[in-house]
Amino acid sequence: MRIGVFVCHCGSNIGGTVDCARVAALARDFPDVAYATDPMYTCAEPGQAAIEEAIHEYRLDGVVVASCSPRMHEPTFRRTVERAGLNRYMFEMANIREHVSWIGKDKEANTNKAAELVRLAVEKLRHNLPLAASQFDVNKRVLVIGGGVAGIQAALDCAEGGIPVVLVEREATIGGKMAKLDKTFPTVDCSACILGPKMVDVAQHPKITLYACAEVEEISGYVGNFTVKIRKRATYVDWSKCTGCGACTEKCPAKKTPDAFNEHTGTTTAINIAFPQAIPKKAVINAQYCRQLTKGKCGVCAKVCPTGAINYAMQEEIVSENVGAIVAATGYDLMDWRVYQEYGGGVYPDVITSLQYERLLSASGPTGGHVLRPSDGKEPQTVVFVQCVGSRDRSIGRPYCSGFCCMYTAKQAILTKDHIPGAQTFVFYMDIRAPGKMYDEFVRRASEEYGTEYIRGRVSQIYPDGQGRLVVKGADTLLGEQVEIKADLVVLAVGIEASKGAVNLAEKLRISYDNHGFFMESHVKLRPVETNTAGVFLAGVCQGAKDIPASVAQGSAAAAKVLTLFARDKLESDPQIAQVDIRRCVACGKCLRCCPFGAIKETEFRGETKAQVIATVCQGCGLCTSTCPQGAIQLQHATDNQILAEVNALCQC
Amino acid sequence: MSVLDGKELRIVGFLCNWCSYGGADTAGVARATQPTDLRIIRVPCSGRVDPLFVLKALFNGADGVLVSGCHPRDCHYAAGNFYARRRLEILKRFLPVLGIDERRFAYTWVSAAEGQRWQHVVTAFTRQIHELGPAPRLEDAEPLLKVADMALTALRPLGSGQSAALDELKAAIRSKLPELDCVIGWQQGRDAAHHVPLFMRKPEDVDKLVWGPFNVNNPAVYLPSFKGKKVGVVVKGCDARSVVELLQENLIRREDVTIFSMPCEGTLDMGRVDQALGRYTAIDQVAYDEAGVTITADGRAQRFCMADWAQGKCYGCATPSAVLTDESFGASAPVEAKATTPPELAMLDAMSLEERRAFWRGQMERCLRCYACRNACPLCVCRDYCVSDSRDPHWMTQEDTVKEKLFFQTIHALHLAGRCTGCGECQRACPVGIPILALRQQISRAVGELFNGYAAGMNPQDVPPLLGYAVVEENIQEQDWK
Repeated sequence: MRIGVFVCHCGSNIGGTVDCARVAALARDFPDVAYATDPMYTCAEPGQAAIEEAIHEYRLDGVVVASCSPRMHEPTFRRTVERAGLNRYMFEMANIREHVSWIGKDKEANTNKAAELVRLAVEKLRHNLPLAASQFDVNKRVLVIGGGVAGIQAALDCAEGGIPVVLVEREATIGGKMAKLDKTFPTVDCSACILGPKMVDVAQHPKITLYACAEVEEISGYVGNFTVKIRKRATYVDWSKCTGCGACTEKCPAKKTPDAFNEHTGTTTAINIAFPQAIPKKAVINAQYCRQLTKGKCGVCAKVCPTGAINYAMQEEIVSENVGAIVAATGYDLMDWRVYQEYGGGVYPDVITSLQYERLLSASGPTGGHVLRPSDGKEPQTVVFVQCVGSRDRSIGRPYCSGFCCMYTAKQAILTKDHIPGAQTFVFYMDIRAPGKMYDEFVRRASEEYGTEYIRGRVSQIYPDGQGRLVVKGADTLLGEQVEIKADLVVLAVGIEASKGAVNLAEKLRISYDNHGFFMESHVKLRPVETNTAGVFLAGVCQGAKDIPASVAQGSAAAAKVLTLFARDKLESDPQIAQVDIRRCVACGKCLRCCPFGAIKETEFRGETKAQVIATVCQGCGLCTSTCPQGAIQLQHATDNQILAEVNALCQC
Repeated sequence: MSVLDGKELRIVGFLCNWCSYGGADTAGVARATQPTDLRIIRVPCSGRVDPLFVLKALFNGADGVLVSGCHPRDCHYAAGNFYARRRLEILKRFLPVLGIDERRFAYTWVSAAEGQRWQHVVTAFTRQIHELGPAPRLEDAEPLLKVADMALTALRPLGSGQSAALDELKAAIRSKLPELDCVIGWQQGRDAAHHVPLFMRKPEDVDKLVWGPFNVNNPAVYLPSFKGKKVGVVVKGCDARSVVELLQENLIRREDVTIFSMPCEGTLDMGRVDQALGRYTAIDQVAYDEAGVTITADGRAQRFCMADWAQGKCYGCATPSAVLTDESFGASAPVEAKATTPPELAMLDAMSLEERRAFWRGQMERCLRCYACRNACPLCVCRDYCVSDSRDPHWMTQEDTVKEKLFFQTIHALHLAGRCTGCGECQRACPVGIPILALRQQISRAVGELFNGYAAGMNPQDVPPLLGYAVVEENIQEQDWK
């Protein structure tokens, strides 16, 4: 081989603490090195041109660049050597910046280490082989999981871009948490009025297939060619016949059914449509409360239904969809705040969550938009808001900020005054976090225009005073004194957590998630919508706390990523995958058993069973290679011999 | 930072591309000063790190090896680090038996965001290696050849198996033989004191079948070569576990194999017996009594009591009867259920790290590289494609050094991790009598400790622990580098 070595100074970044010229001089003595030099900026255009020239002039068939991290510039230099006619895998990088010059102060030790890392790269390169990528087709359809505002936005943008969309929603209606809100900050816009039209667009768009009351059961395949199994729950109503007229809900006798959409602030009927603007506007029977389904007698809805849509014998169903990309937009749930025993642990009816309060404020809620407290149905005169209940609390393992509670608490304080002009409102807060456009102004309005009293401090206890009111005891840390307020209603700004089942879904999608179940993006700053699994993108709170504008923005961003992916008709597969040496394979099946992706199958070769790698499914982790005792399956570009060459380069005594 | 002073030591790091390599980059970007000893090899996933790479580095002069991957649950490849955790933990518990201080090897998890943690891990690990000093080299040890006598206490009375129902067994084989291509058993070898494998194809072959303490070979070793054919096999308890393991690994098919079994009362350690017999021209007589055999060679009679002359594995044997069988004859004496340390391993346990290095140095000098250990192993399924004879992958050189020879033993031992049933064929087949079974026993012991007493070859439905994982490992406590 004829190898060229380029030891980059990176200005003074490397040159300052590594003697690059000496490293290049040492490199000239390494086996197969035909040329070595130390350019100032290798990644700059002249630096890249110099590599190309050297390849031609010295007839190089491999290049080592010693510079920054390969995670940074490996793609850049691969393109460089490719331009000069080399295969892009005949290139290796030695990381002498992040791993040498930036972390060590001793120039001699650094120079020595840099030279050894170059030697390591040279030895690896000597064992490299040219690899070629193959191409495969892309199925230009997208699956969006979750029909909250982020998912709706992603679905609509993709559909507008001409991509068929499959939207899967777990609940009976799309709209997510935003559909439950009465108004939105900082404009006090009516939530249903701005979300409603988007929901209708989803229902009417010819490119969108909506599965409500459905969940993703299984995902297989890879970018461009996923197969998704979707479990459609039994709704006991034939939606192709249901017109959403609501006759059944009026006549249903099971009127004590818990109302999940209204956050259990009221009750509903066993057959019901979540709310007037629901999409799809179809009735669903709650099988646990339906008299026909539990006791076998009733059948009222079937009698009154004008289209005969009721089907008590309906079974759940699995449908299969093929897509090329997936957007996860599974949102969040409120944490179970009953761990806070000092706030009553859920015993006092007049201690409610902010989302429940939202339903009390809403005209489509159980009280028709009149704020009436749950215990006695009276209008509260004193309302206390407690922030950070389950946010920023390490004692219960929730160190993160839920992001938007400061803002909605201000909004709810304002709305309280709108509904009950004489009411007195208090807010217990830790810090006010209002960094958005017009956000801080909005919080100021709550306190200055609407007379909300902000108390900086935590609430230590809430208990009934025995006369129908609640005593809220807390500290005012600014004044340094105890505070005690008699309240008619206490609203807790309960912290968020990853949606139930998010971890399960992450495992199906093969994406990572953090300690709290939020999905991990590919890069915190530069790849916030991508995941480390190609073809899977994120939108909304499933990735981390964010408010409506940010969720919508990320929904659009995910759609843009899908459209970018689908702009090409063929995708290139990574050739860094496992390959079976069919002579060495004894078909013991160990690789097959370990492969996390099911990328290995059995095949017949001249009457014998052998392992075979499914090229498009293999992700290139190399677990099989370290599992196979006879070394019959080798991960290309990280073969046993390549890694052994590196080990031997370092340990040669 | 004191570790930066003085001579650098050789520390090799294997870092996964997605998390730890990124974490090391993050540390660099933050200018988090670290000792310069570490050299990093980038791999796609910690699951790609074959424990043998670590051993290769340690054998060839590395003073320390560090493997770092993504945090559990955070693997870019979903589960690579879960597999790595099990394999690397086994490796960690394996090193001391070779005389290598286990503190020279560490594995940990560092995410791409944890630059500070990376700085801390590198600094702490480098300091630890400097405290241990340069790694002593195997070649430098003074060879130790004299071995302490092993303490031998059996879990049950060992015997010569003379009450076994051999005639019934023969009748059963005869009646099954027409359906089978071959039945594997034992026959007399060069003399009455040596038995060798027997391949019964015709009814008259069955007459040659023998039973007793000279039946040392494990007939299961031949089964994979009969794959696809109907075959019968006569087994002792230990042999049956090899059959189960082969079934587990898909190397033979249950419907193709008929297992004949009789409870075993122990087999003789032929290495020691032959030594005691010395040179002789003819065996005059082999007389069996209940607890041993008397061999008369060239007119000189010697009695070998099973309690003293059995193979090391027989003393702790808890499965004298086959765990899986089609036709079994006779019942075994009850076994006292008790965890024991095999005598070979107990001997090494009693040594210091330095003594163990000296021990292996001395023993391995005698190794001929004949690979009888490999050829006798029923689970060495690579057969013609053993990595010891290969250049792709090129794990071993052909150099005749103690290091290469011991490295082969570690390859064999690690390839058997969680699979070795302890049948001891490797050690029995060794013509120079190196107690190499101890290496496999140490790994089996670690597997048992880590995976709730898992023992290989007990149930064909078991998943070998190193081919599976648990998200939360009950018995693995990782170093947290706090």
